[in-house]
Amino acid sequence: MSRGKAVCCAQLTLLLAAVVGCVQVPDLSLTLTSERTTIERTYELTKYLEHQLKDIKDTYLSYLGPPFSDPDFSPPRPNSSSLSVPSAATRVELWRGLENGARLAQNQRAYRVLLCAMRELARSTLCPYLQSSLLHFCSGLNGLLGSITGLMRSLGYTPPQLGDVPLPLPGDGQPLLTERPASNEFSRKVEGFWVLRELQSWLWRSAKDFNRLKKRLKA
Amino acid sequence: MANALTTTCYVVLAAVVVVYAQRKSQLGARVQYEHRDTDVTMQCGTLASEASVTWKVNGTDVKAERREEGPQLILFNVDVSHNGLYSCFQNPNGERRDQINLRIGTPPKRPVVTCRSNTYPKGFYCSWHLTPPPDIPTEFEVNVEHNLRVLEVERDTVHKNRCKVKFPELFSSVPYRVNVTAINALGSAYTVISFEESSIVKPDPPEKVVVTPIPNRVQRLEVTWNNPSTWPDVDNFPLKYFLRYRPLIRDEWQHVELTETTRHTITDAYAGKEYIIQLAAKDMEIGTWSEWSVAVYATPWWYEPKPITSTTEAEVIIENCSTTPPSAKPEHRLAAGVPALFSSPHLLLASLLLFIMW
Repeated sequence: MSRGKAVCCAQLTLLLAAVVGCVQVPDLSLTLTSERTTIERTYELTKYLEHQLKDIKDTYLSYLGPPFSDPDFSPPRPNSSSLSVPSAATRVELWRGLENGARLAQNQRAYRVLLCAMRELARSTLCPYLQSSLLHFCSGLNGLLGSITGLMRSLGYTPPQLGDVPLPLPGDGQPLLTERPASNEFSRKVEGFWVLRELQSWLWRSAKDFNRLKKRLKA
Repeated sequence: MANALTTTCYVVLAAVVVVYAQRKSQLGARVQYEHRDTDVTMQCGTLASEASVTWKVNGTDVKAERREEGPQLILFNVDVSHNGLYSCFQNPNGERRDQINLRIGTPPKRPVVTCRSNTYPKGFYCSWHLTPPPDIPTEFEVNVEHNLRVLEVERDTVHKNRCKVKFPELFSSVPYRVNVTAINALGSAYTVISFEESSIVKPDPPEKVVVTPIPNRVQRLEVTWNNPSTWPDVDNFPLKYFLRYRPLIRDEWQHVELTETTRHTITDAYAGKEYIIQLAAKDMEIGTWSEWSVAVYATPWWYEPKPITSTTEAEVIIENCSTTPPSAKPEHRLAAGVPALFSSPHLLLASLLLFIMW
C-alpha cells in the first residue's frame, strides 16, 4: 500500500513539474502578448484623448476669442525659448527607423512636457467650466503617460529620468509658458494655441507609433 | 503613262508649295490679344494715317461690325467669333503690309486650387482650374511654402494644371501654403490656400474587388480586395475600409467598417438576389474616405436544379436569418497565450504521464 502511495506521489510530482515547466518555457511570448495588449490599450487611449481634445480645443479657442476663434487662423509658432513643448514632426526615414525603446522614450518625454503645459493652461484659465474640462483632460493625459512609462519598464527600457529631459520643468522653478513681464496677453494666447496644436499632433503621431510597435512586436 | 506621272508630280509639288506658303504666312503674323466685350483697334504696319488699306480675315472679307480709318481697323464689342488671321493690303497696288492673329479672351480669374495626398506619406499633389476659361494661352506659377521654407514643386509633364510636392516631414503642426498664380497677356490672378498635413490625406479606392458566392451557402458572399496601389506603405500607415452592399431590388445600403483585413464574408444576403458591392478606404488616423471603388455585382450561390429522375433529395443549407454578424476567424478569439500552451511539448509529456498513471 505504502509503495503504491509512493509511486502515486512520484507520478504527481512529475506531472506538477511538467506543468510548471509548461508555464515557464513560453514565458517570453506570454509577456510579449501582454505588452501587445497594453500597446493596444494605449493606442485606444490616444484615440480617445484625441477625440476629447477636439472638443476642448474648440471651446478653448472660443474662450480665447478672435482671431483665435477664426477657423483658418494660424499664428506663427513661438520660438523654442518662449515655448518649449516638443514638436511631433519628424522626417519619414527617421520615424521609420526608430528603435522601439527610442520611439517610446520620445513619446514619454513629449507627454511629460505636454502634461505640465496643459496643467498650466488649465491653471491660467479663468472660465471655471473650461478649467474643469482641461483638468479632467489632464488626468487622462496623465494616464497615458503612466501607460507609456509602464510599457517601457516591462519591455526592459529605462524611462528617461527627470534629469534627462533637457527642457525646463515646473519643478526647476521655470514655467513652460513663460511669464516674462514683457510678454503680452496676445503672446500668451499664441503659446496656449500652440500647446493645444502640438498636443493634437502628438496624439496623432502616438497612434501611428503604437501601431508600428504592435507590428514590430508581433514579428 | 509618263503624262500621268508628270501630272502627279506637279500636283504634289503644288500642294507642298501651298502648305509652305501658308505656314510662312502664319509665322510672319504677330499675335494680338484683346479683351472680350471691348472695341479693338488693329493697325496695319507702320503706314501713315492717310494710307488706304483693304482688310481680309482668313482670306475672306471682314463681315463683323467695324469702322475703317486709314490704316486702322476697329472692331466693336468683340468675342471669340472675331478670332482670326487679319491681313491688310495697301491700296491700290494690293501689296500685303501686315498680318495680325487676333485672339479674344479674358484675364484669368482667381484659380480654384485643391490639394490631396493619395500617396501618404510620400507627398501630395495640387491641381487647379480657371472658371471661366480665359480662351487665350495662360501659364501658371506655383509656390509651396511650409515652416518658412520654400518646397520644391514638380510640375506634371502631361497635365499643365498639376504639380507634385514631397512631404518634408510627417506629423507636422505647421500648415502648408500653396500659391497658384495664373498669368496671360491680359492680366494675372492668384489664389493662396492653406491646409494641414492631416486634412488632405485621401487614398485612392480599393482595387481588384472580387465577390464570389460560396458553394452551398445561399446567403453568403465572399468579398476580397487589394489596397490601392498608390498607397506606398500599408504596414506603417494602415488603412481601414468601409464596405457597402445592397441587393439591386433595394435602395438602402448596408455598411460594415473593417480594419486589418482585405476580406469579408457577407452572411445576410437575400438568397437568389443580385447584389452590388463597393468599398472605400481611409488612413486609420487622419484624412478622409476615398471615393467608392468600382461596383461589383454578384449573386449568392443557388443549387442546381436536379433532373426529375433523381431519387435523392437535394441538400439545402438555409442560414438562420438572425445569425450574428460575421465573426472574425475563430482563432483570433482565443486568449493569445493559449495556442502557445497547447503547442508545448511539456504538456504532451504531462498528458502522457497522466495516461500512464491511469
